[in-house]
Amino acid sequence: MIFHVNHKTYEVDLVGHETLLEVLRDKLGLTGTKTSCMESECGACTVMIGGKGILSCITLAANVAGEPITTIEGLADGENLHPVQQAFLDYGAAQCGFCIPGMIMASTALLTQNPHPTREEMEYALDGNICRCTGYLKIFEALREAGDKMSQLKAPRESALYQYIPAVSSTP
Amino acid sequence: MVQTINKDLVNPVGKSVPKIDGKGIVTGQIKYVFDVSLPNMLVGKMLRSPHAHARILSIDTSKAEKLSGVKAIVTAKDTHLIKFGSNEYFFPHTVDQLPLEDEKVRYIGDEIGAVAAVDEETAEEALKLIDIKYEVLPAVFDMEEAMKPGAPAIHEAMNNIAVILPVNFGNVDRAFKESDYIREDIFRTQPAAHCSMEPHVCVGQWETFSNKVTLWSSSQAPFKCREALAKCLKMDLNDVRVIKLAVGGGFGSKLEMMPMDFAACVLSHKSGGLPVKITYTREEEFSFSRRKHPMIYKIKSGIKKDGTIMAITGEVIADGGAYCSYGPTVIAAAIMRIFMVYKIKNFRISGYRVYTNNPISGAIRGFGGVQSGFAIESHIDMLAKGIGMDPMEFRLRNATDPNMVTINKMYLTSNGLKECITKAAAAADWKNKYSKMRNQCRGIGIAVAADVMGSKMYKSHESAGSIVKVEEDGSVYLFTGAADTGQGANTALSQIAAQELGVSYSRIRCKSGDTEITPFDTGSFASRVTFISGNATKRAATDAKKQILNVVAEEYKLNPEDLDIIAERVIHKKDSSVLLNFDKALDLCYSFNYGRQIIGRGSYNPKTTPVDFRTAEGNVSGSYGFEAQIAEVEVDKETGHVRIIKMWDAHDIGKAINPQGVIGQIEGSIAMGIGYSLYEDLKFKNGRVVNANFANYRLPKAIGMPEIETILIETIDPEGPFGAKGMGEASLLPTSAAIANAIEDAVGIRVKELPMTPDKILKALKEKEQTTPQTATESQQ
Repeated sequence: MIFHVNHKTYEVDLVGHETLLEVLRDKLGLTGTKTSCMESECGACTVMIGGKGILSCITLAANVAGEPITTIEGLADGENLHPVQQAFLDYGAAQCGFCIPGMIMASTALLTQNPHPTREEMEYALDGNICRCTGYLKIFEALREAGDKMSQLKAPRESALYQYIPAVSSTP
Repeated sequence: MVQTINKDLVNPVGKSVPKIDGKGIVTGQIKYVFDVSLPNMLVGKMLRSPHAHARILSIDTSKAEKLSGVKAIVTAKDTHLIKFGSNEYFFPHTVDQLPLEDEKVRYIGDEIGAVAAVDEETAEEALKLIDIKYEVLPAVFDMEEAMKPGAPAIHEAMNNIAVILPVNFGNVDRAFKESDYIREDIFRTQPAAHCSMEPHVCVGQWETFSNKVTLWSSSQAPFKCREALAKCLKMDLNDVRVIKLAVGGGFGSKLEMMPMDFAACVLSHKSGGLPVKITYTREEEFSFSRRKHPMIYKIKSGIKKDGTIMAITGEVIADGGAYCSYGPTVIAAAIMRIFMVYKIKNFRISGYRVYTNNPISGAIRGFGGVQSGFAIESHIDMLAKGIGMDPMEFRLRNATDPNMVTINKMYLTSNGLKECITKAAAAADWKNKYSKMRNQCRGIGIAVAADVMGSKMYKSHESAGSIVKVEEDGSVYLFTGAADTGQGANTALSQIAAQELGVSYSRIRCKSGDTEITPFDTGSFASRVTFISGNATKRAATDAKKQILNVVAEEYKLNPEDLDIIAERVIHKKDSSVLLNFDKALDLCYSFNYGRQIIGRGSYNPKTTPVDFRTAEGNVSGSYGFEAQIAEVEVDKETGHVRIIKMWDAHDIGKAINPQGVIGQIEGSIAMGIGYSLYEDLKFKNGRVVNANFANYRLPKAIGMPEIETILIETIDPEGPFGAKGMGEASLLPTSAAIANAIEDAVGIRVKELPMTPDKILKALKEKEQTTPQTATESQQ
């Protein structure tokens, strides 16, 4: 099956029951996406499909084949960090960092739709992402900053230009 | 020449520079052991006891061995039957756990063996095929029941008491007679979980030709892990290599070698050197890793009318579960912390660390201080109330001072406790709020705490070592044995190295926690890294700087003592005039004529004295940190729900090496403290965890996080690197009591059991109504 991940196209053989998380981490080697529970409670596996955050640990990979998937590895523009990544770095919003890929993807999904969320909107949007280190406050600060930056950015980022990558081995 | 020197990052100490590994984190490129995948790697799974207490009669692995895809199975017969424990130096009898049990299992989940197979499904299938015959024994799950004569004997300890710690100073009987007010309270705290987001995970690989083993482990203390591993494997330290990568949180749970670490190595050996990865599921993490000691804390105190504490007595019982782990130290810390906080002359508290057939209680952020903090600081509030004194004033009256020796011979040097109390009170507007918001069911509560930075409770030394290597191109490598678990150790140590060497932080690369490459360090615990590893790093940077200045002095025929390196320049000390810049100095060191490699080394062992556990005397830490915390809450009398409106935290951290990192630690601690105070509770039924997932074990989440105001008090510690002290645990210690005290101020009820859930609040409100229907204080306002 064909997967469009981070503006690249991959052909992956599936048994059928693989989750998107398994495809990303085990078949494509994109280990930036984490999981802490494997049962949709922690949010560490959040990735974006077409600008919306989804939990890759409970998403059947076959169901999202062909859709534009963005993971933490695909957020930066070359060496330039995405405003959300930059703000997380600048505001000390990451400590151990294990929840951060999911947290950044959920934050980006929120800010893409609503660049100036209220504190309450941030709390609701991120309530599915558990962070044990930070107490969330620095994450809220980072979101405020990133939202401002994102709404200032005039030129939208280059849309998906898929480059074909030959089949990735997928022996079960 | 290093490509980009960020001039903004010279003199980095005291600046909120970004985390040294921050870009890796936000781009997902940083690697955790969770992400490690090696060619032909096998999946390992632990074989666990389904019984809380049973004798193992026989183990038959033959069926499992025949299953296709199974590569190795290990049980106790493949091992040397050497026990491990966490406090061999002071309590040799508490070394009580075998990596794989051979005769008896003592809790549900006790490790008996392990399987390595080509995939997870096969490994799990193989576990089911292993046939074990047990003789089920009577089990005991309640700590007080376990202490009674006739209770099932879990180990050989009399009445299942693994450790008794009697702490006794002064004359409490006389002091009680001289007291004007005496009260006694009993507090209970719950078992709780660490919940680091990266579960326990390890990869073991045996080199069959040389009989060496490498373990990649998500560890807070790689050198401690190596020590236990080498002991249990009967190998030399240098034949065992433990490597930590980025660690996704630990909070104390990753401080020990776990049976899984041992099993991964032995499985790899048995499978001919194939790497074996064992990853805990979240359920295993909750059920079989380590948990917080539940405690019963009985405390009785006598005070004078003016608020002076005269005597404290009591008894602490801790449910240790099946093995000792860090229990001896936890119980000691739960008793002895109070001496850092209050001036006490007469004291008698005995601690009992009890075996039960519950999962193992061990180290967790706060090390007994969360439990004792809740008990003591709640009790102190009630004492103050008993004599009609403002609880904030009461604490100020009894607080310890700088440069004093406590009754148990701790040397408190820098001590900002009183300043913490007054500054927190001022920020929270204490005087105008305390006892004045009851008509809105709002209240404010204060609690104080102190913490060590390092702990002379384990080994003959607790030194740290660092190497600062300056390369030809001017880049600087810091090698430290300290284990960054996400708290920012690598960042703070790099800042210290850059500051001392006189260069920009952007030059530093940090390599930490690889037992074959980096110098020894006991690990990340007891808030020790900034203080102890920081001092070692500073010394290594001083040494490197001296080596550079010697070359410069030789070339220019100057005295090296007259030179220094500050902000990327070699200067004359007397007038700060610039002699040459850092890169030019390096060119000289590595020039044709000199060719001198710059390799600075530093070692630091804090000035402590080991605790004598017969008397509880000893200067356990090289310095001490202090803090005061205030909570403002609102209680919904209909639902029992407690809303935290705001928290204030004034913290004596000596000197903030990285203020943003310090504040991050405080906020994270308080969030964890709120969880432990209001809802986190690991629930058990006959020794089995019944809420082993994030859905049923509630953690602090984004919704409802209160505002936190932090006040950093910089007392510039005489011994700390640039005056810095350790921190990271202290902020968790007073939170439960601050909230409990605020609840009492709000609605006049006292909850003495954690977590303070709505049902407990409602029950207490009902009881209060029944006893004082007309005279409730809030109805008067």
